Amino acid sequence: MPAERSPGMDHSHYPYSPLPARSPLIWPSRKPLAIGALVLLEHYEWDPPADAYSLRNSSGGLIKLPAPDYVQLTHREYGHRVGVFRLLDTLERHGIPVTVAVDKLTAVHYPWLIDHLMQRGCELVGHGVAASQLITSKLSEEAEAEIITDCLDTLEKLSGSRPSGWFSPEGVESSRTPELLAAAGVNYVCDWPNDEQPYKMTTPVGDLVSLPLFLEVDDEFALWHRRASLASWEGMIVGAATRLHMDGQTSARHMMLTLRPWLTGQPFRIRSLDRALSQVMQLEGVWAAQGNDIVSAFGES
Amino acid sequence: MALPPHRVDYLPMADRPKISWPDEAKVALWIAPNIEHYEYLPPRDPRRNPWPRSPHPEVQGYSQRDYGNRVGFWRMLEVLDEYEVRCTASTNLAVFEHYPDIGKAMTDRGWEIMSHGIYNTRYLSSLTEEEEREFYVDCVDTLRRHTGQDLKGMLGPAVSNTVLTPDLMAEAGLIYHADWLHDDQPIPIKVDGGPLVSVPYSIELNDVPVFLHHHDTQEFVEMVKAQFDTLYEEGGTSGRVMALALHPYLMGMPHRIQGLEEILDYLLGHDGVWQTTASEIAEHFIEHHYEEFVDHAEVISAVRDAS
Repeated sequence: MPAERSPGMDHSHYPYSPLPARSPLIWPSRKPLAIGALVLLEHYEWDPPADAYSLRNSSGGLIKLPAPDYVQLTHREYGHRVGVFRLLDTLERHGIPVTVAVDKLTAVHYPWLIDHLMQRGCELVGHGVAASQLITSKLSEEAEAEIITDCLDTLEKLSGSRPSGWFSPEGVESSRTPELLAAAGVNYVCDWPNDEQPYKMTTPVGDLVSLPLFLEVDDEFALWHRRASLASWEGMIVGAATRLHMDGQTSARHMMLTLRPWLTGQPFRIRSLDRALSQVMQLEGVWAAQGNDIVSAFGES
Repeated sequence: MALPPHRVDYLPMADRPKISWPDEAKVALWIAPNIEHYEYLPPRDPRRNPWPRSPHPEVQGYSQRDYGNRVGFWRMLEVLDEYEVRCTASTNLAVFEHYPDIGKAMTDRGWEIMSHGIYNTRYLSSLTEEEEREFYVDCVDTLRRHTGQDLKGMLGPAVSNTVLTPDLMAEAGLIYHADWLHDDQPIPIKVDGGPLVSVPYSIELNDVPVFLHHHDTQEFVEMVKAQFDTLYEEGGTSGRVMALALHPYLMGMPHRIQGLEEILDYLLGHDGVWQTTASEIAEHFIEHHYEEFVDHAEVISAVRDAS
């Protein structure tokens, strides 16, 4: 529906809230900045269902090739086979507990990996069925609800606990998604990169917390779509964290890094992340946390 | 991949048998100049247009690549000779017919020739099964006729493939496929017949995507060094493969060639580097590690059966 020209948002998911007008956000031990990492395990199907929607400019591979596009499919598969372990090792070395968004097909076809993530203490968040089956307004409400519960049920069955967080495949939602997530018992959603603090979303069936990711330093956004140099990306991460740490002295901030194993997990990229985190973690009083911890602390602040 | 069509089993890098390269090398390094011919007036392919910029001919794109065969190749060759690199030339095999000088330069140096199809403007993706079968016969015969070499592997022409490609490659006697970018080690591919393995190539450590976007030589040099540093560190635990993909029309340019010298200086200045060819990597892997990898994949997939 087109916007009506009146104060506030042109949708009902959350009210407008200018950051300076909010009461100060306080993290545990009054730390100014929470740092989190959302690692994405996304599966691109070899042969997606005919009616499924995927991004026109989906990343990986070379140019868009006629199917079967071995280049794109195997480039992405690299993350599940090799890259994810480099990311986990690097994040753990810097003391950052990892949050991992896992789609249903990854969970079903890589059960070894799910066990491994649980053994390493990762928090899993729901991530749809596959990166080649996006949640869009073209789906019926029933089909969308089915994707959400199918993913959550599968992750619960294979990991032993039901995810409380959600990140839609490729960050694509329908206008119904927040309500359907709340109805499915999801506590927080990462689809809206519009803030430096978590905030409350409201739906007819209950509240939800929005935990914004930091889109500008998202590896795909910066390194793939914008083709930033690695040195530039490293500088963006450190520069953003440094400023958020300063601004967080008056009202705390969070910074969720979005990392793809097939992209930042490549041998030549992992070193840039490693260097950036070395600097970020030297900032006084950084709180490294999982999505769920940040959202809980937001609820208690 | 672990999903349909199940060509490859899941084998996480964190839980694998150890790979030992000859002389306990940490990194098997293969360097792949792409020696290509793009046609002036290619046959029309309804699924993929090699020259989308204008109606054919597209002389600017054609000439940019032709520069590689006229000039860039010969400049690159001086540097590759200086460092005595044993290349695996990813070759459109019609190059042997169009440019015998280039063919002779490669065979004189004992380079391994990897098939990159016949022309870079003729794609496998539009072939029928029977046409693709004939394509391999053509590749094997053409290479043997011009070099005496047995064809061991392929990077699909302009990285094109069909669902059947691995089966038909194995049927034609090839042992490695370079189109799989899924790993830092060779991996068994399930085929009728075989064995066929992937030898990891790169579209990241590759001058085409780097220079066709907005990066410059120094960014490429830094990427290659960083890639090597990581694989070299990890290769102390279990051997890794590093591929460097080059194109004479890009890397052989006057303002870029020093970057190649800097790269080779760095990579070949380290001990513990097995500078080899793709088929030697495949053969070593098949002889020493293939069975272990297949067996271990069964252990990994048993997790699925148990869950």
